[in-house]
Amino acid sequence: MTGNEWIILGMIAGFLSMMIIGIPVAISLAVSGFVAGYLGFGPLLFNLMPARLYGVVTNYTLLAIPLFVFMGVMLEKSRVAEDMLETIGKAMGGVNGGMGLAIILVGVLMGASTGIVGATVVTVGLLTLPVLMRRGYHPSIACGTICASGTLGQIIPPSLVLILLSDIVGESVGTLFAAAFIPGLVLAVIYILYLLILGLVKPDWVPAIPKEERALTSKSQLFKDLLRNVCPPLLLVVAVLGSIVGGVAAPTEAASMGALGAILLAAFMKRLNRVMLKEVLHGTLTISAMVFFILLCAQPFSLAFRGLGGEQVIHGFFDILPGGEFGAIIFLMALLFILGFFLEWIEISYIALPMFLPVFSNYGTDMVWLAILVAMNLQMSFLTPPFGWALFFLKGVVPPGISIKHIYLGAIPFVILQLCALLVLFNFPSLATWLPKAIGW
Amino acid sequence: MNALIQLIERVVEWFGGLARFCVLALVLLVATNVILRYLFSIGPVSLQELEWHLISPIALIGLSYSMKHRADVRVDIFYDKFSSRKQGVVDLITAIVTIAIGVYICWLGIKYVGQSYNLQEGSPDPGGLPMRYLLKGFIPFGFGLLVLQGVADIMRSILKITEAKVSVELEPNVSVKEVDRGSAV
Amino acid sequence: KGDERFNVRMTNAYPPGSPFYVQGPGSPMDFCEKVTAMSDGRLNINHFAAGELIPALEGFNAVSSGTIEMNAANAYFWAGKIPAAQFFTTVPFGLNTQGMNAWLYHGGGMELWHELYEPHGLIAFPMGNTGVQMTGWFRKPVETVADLKGLKMRIPGLAGKVYSELGVTVRLLPGGEIFPALERGVIDAAEFVGPYQDRRLGLHKAAKYYYTTGWHEPTNVTELLINKDVWDSFPKDLQMIVKMAAQASVTESLSWSESVNAEALKDLVENEGVIAQPLPQEIVSNLKEATFDTLSSMAAADPQTKKVYDSFMKFREKHSSWAALSEKPFLNL
Ligand code: NA
Ligand code: NA
Repeated sequence: MTGNEWIILGMIAGFLSMMIIGIPVAISLAVSGFVAGYLGFGPLLFNLMPARLYGVVTNYTLLAIPLFVFMGVMLEKSRVAEDMLETIGKAMGGVNGGMGLAIILVGVLMGASTGIVGATVVTVGLLTLPVLMRRGYHPSIACGTICASGTLGQIIPPSLVLILLSDIVGESVGTLFAAAFIPGLVLAVIYILYLLILGLVKPDWVPAIPKEERALTSKSQLFKDLLRNVCPPLLLVVAVLGSIVGGVAAPTEAASMGALGAILLAAFMKRLNRVMLKEVLHGTLTISAMVFFILLCAQPFSLAFRGLGGEQVIHGFFDILPGGEFGAIIFLMALLFILGFFLEWIEISYIALPMFLPVFSNYGTDMVWLAILVAMNLQMSFLTPPFGWALFFLKGVVPPGISIKHIYLGAIPFVILQLCALLVLFNFPSLATWLPKAIGW
Repeated sequence: MNALIQLIERVVEWFGGLARFCVLALVLLVATNVILRYLFSIGPVSLQELEWHLISPIALIGLSYSMKHRADVRVDIFYDKFSSRKQGVVDLITAIVTIAIGVYICWLGIKYVGQSYNLQEGSPDPGGLPMRYLLKGFIPFGFGLLVLQGVADIMRSILKITEAKVSVELEPNVSVKEVDRGSAV
Repeated sequence: KGDERFNVRMTNAYPPGSPFYVQGPGSPMDFCEKVTAMSDGRLNINHFAAGELIPALEGFNAVSSGTIEMNAANAYFWAGKIPAAQFFTTVPFGLNTQGMNAWLYHGGGMELWHELYEPHGLIAFPMGNTGVQMTGWFRKPVETVADLKGLKMRIPGLAGKVYSELGVTVRLLPGGEIFPALERGVIDAAEFVGPYQDRRLGLHKAAKYYYTTGWHEPTNVTELLINKDVWDSFPKDLQMIVKMAAQASVTESLSWSESVNAEALKDLVENEGVIAQPLPQEIVSNLKEATFDTLSSMAAADPQTKKVYDSFMKFREKHSSWAALSEKPFLNL
């Protein structure tokens, strides 16, 4: 191994050990990046740092973060979300895991309006975790479900991952959007099955609302509650999605319709006032800044990884690349999975994919199918401990008493489910390739 | 020491107020732009640019603000089990490296903004917003505030190490969650 | 002539995979390979697409400050720093590719370009050309100027300003959001590049009316930006290699572009039901008028721009009368 390769290993090890003793994730990333970079190539390359930071804080698509977080905090502060979940829980009757299903549904709907994992995870976490805890859900199961549903937005179009991939593999954005649609839903269905099965095997972990309590609400009352508590927040999601589908707003700016709707909703329920608005702004600012803090501090880390020739290290893996299309795909998937432990998805796709593409075009691999496999794999990287963005983002909003350990443990089953989904897609490429052909995209 | 901590945090909180205002402005601006365009086909380039110009203060001033309100993400597997004193040591290390990072980025940022200022850089789009160096200026400014908050955190962690009692009065251990539920607003 | 070796970095304003602007015949990556081969490895250029080292539009500052040695982009991206930079990529109703090359290489254009960049510690050369672009994709046909009023169009830069003079609502959107926005009707029209690139983005699936021609971008020059100190440190033969490789890339990218665009347009019209037609004359005349007003007010506002504008316009006049008797009758044959 060369000197720089040792430094890269040291950088990753340093980052993990700082993180493990409780130094904030963002700070650990920045420190290890700066130190390793300085040892490897000196100070010069860090002159590029402000440009990279500027790129993060002026990234148009990241507008969705404060907008969606605002919507989430507003719904939380006006207790609209709480009422909704309670009502859904009751409406689910004796089905264990019922409220968990609601979360996955919210994840799918929010995923269909944005591709920003940070925005979805914190919003869903903020809205649902306190209620789930009070209702006796196992913290790990609750956290895992939230993180996993939050990452669905990566594969359910519109999605940043798909847009970037379309550029790299040279397929149109529309084709990839259509191709990702069914696999995304399959994934959601797999999550739902998991919760339902869990409800049968371990009912204590995902309890339904007790019979006695449900008995307190009559059928007609429940129906009224459904109308009153579930419709308004659902309308917000419809507003966001509807403004995209109806051609009112582009995907990123659609989040503002949700935010505006949340203000109107709170006002309508007479819960909007000065103090509450200030609290909402405070919550939105701290949570959005928490997400940006990590995104900004990841810049020195990524820059150092590049500057130290991290891509050559990965290129080195090519010497052990097995023969055949099948072998190459398995190898790519395994590599993406491992890189996902410590690199963010943009860096992974920029570094790993362009190297593999010539190999696959030689084999004549279906690029649409491959892109969706990759997208699913990248989505999984948000969930893999110890370094998974979704896990960190959720950690930023969990109520006291839930540690990162709960989140890590909760994520693992979903990572396994993802692997299963990947396997299904691997065996049935038409899941991805059928829809784009059928609708002519 | 307490007085100094409070002074620093008042400054951070004041600028945080500015960033909070930017959040509200952003929500209203984007929604207004969408509605004006859809209903009346009005959409000045400058107002569209202002949308993403507002992310910059939110993200960068937000750094020190989220640090002050302990809204940073940490892996607490061991940290939670540490004694108050040990936690203080981790906090001290965190504060010191935060200052180091902040000073370095601030310094790099000033050069970067200077270059933009010398070019009198504005939007490449006719009708876009001028003075892009102001927008870029939030980089050194935001990290400068972070350094300031780091100084307060150093003092606070020293207090935590020397006497665990102080923590009650100063609530350094307030978790982000409670703050976010509005108790500290 | 020494055997000193140079290792430099080139950043790019376009994301990985972009044809013409990143990879393919005559692209920046191709240029880097050419230079390495021609110099027998004495000048080795490492290429980084947008986002790999720095974000898309940060190349100017990075090369100017010497942190990065070279950058590939279009000069008009720097219009916020140097307004006259617009003229070195394309000018609406300006010169076509032949005319642009003539102005740059033999009409004083390159000298002005160098003069303009000198104070910033930079030197630039043309390193590619994607030829004429298209007006863009429209969801509904436009027949009169009145149809433009209130039309929501994704169109960046100077052309956006001109359209807005005719009542178009200009929408700035990143490349990835053009398709969903156009498909759903958030915007009524969108300009991107040309048939080959537009088909790659799938725009024909969102709108069927493909108007021509690229009045707003009759040519499109890729810029090779080099830090002046680095350039001066190169021995004469390496400088010549860089210049010639860049010039070869201009020819190669243009011919590749002409060839694949012809194929793509045929495919779009024959297999995808795209309706490709020239913009109605009335609209073109109005756009032209608005363009010349905008250009002259740009020139009036900035002495540097005035100087470049004068040279460009003078050359344009000369070249147009030549083309009117040479190219134009030929195209009508
Ligand atoms: Na999505
Ligand atoms: Na991961």
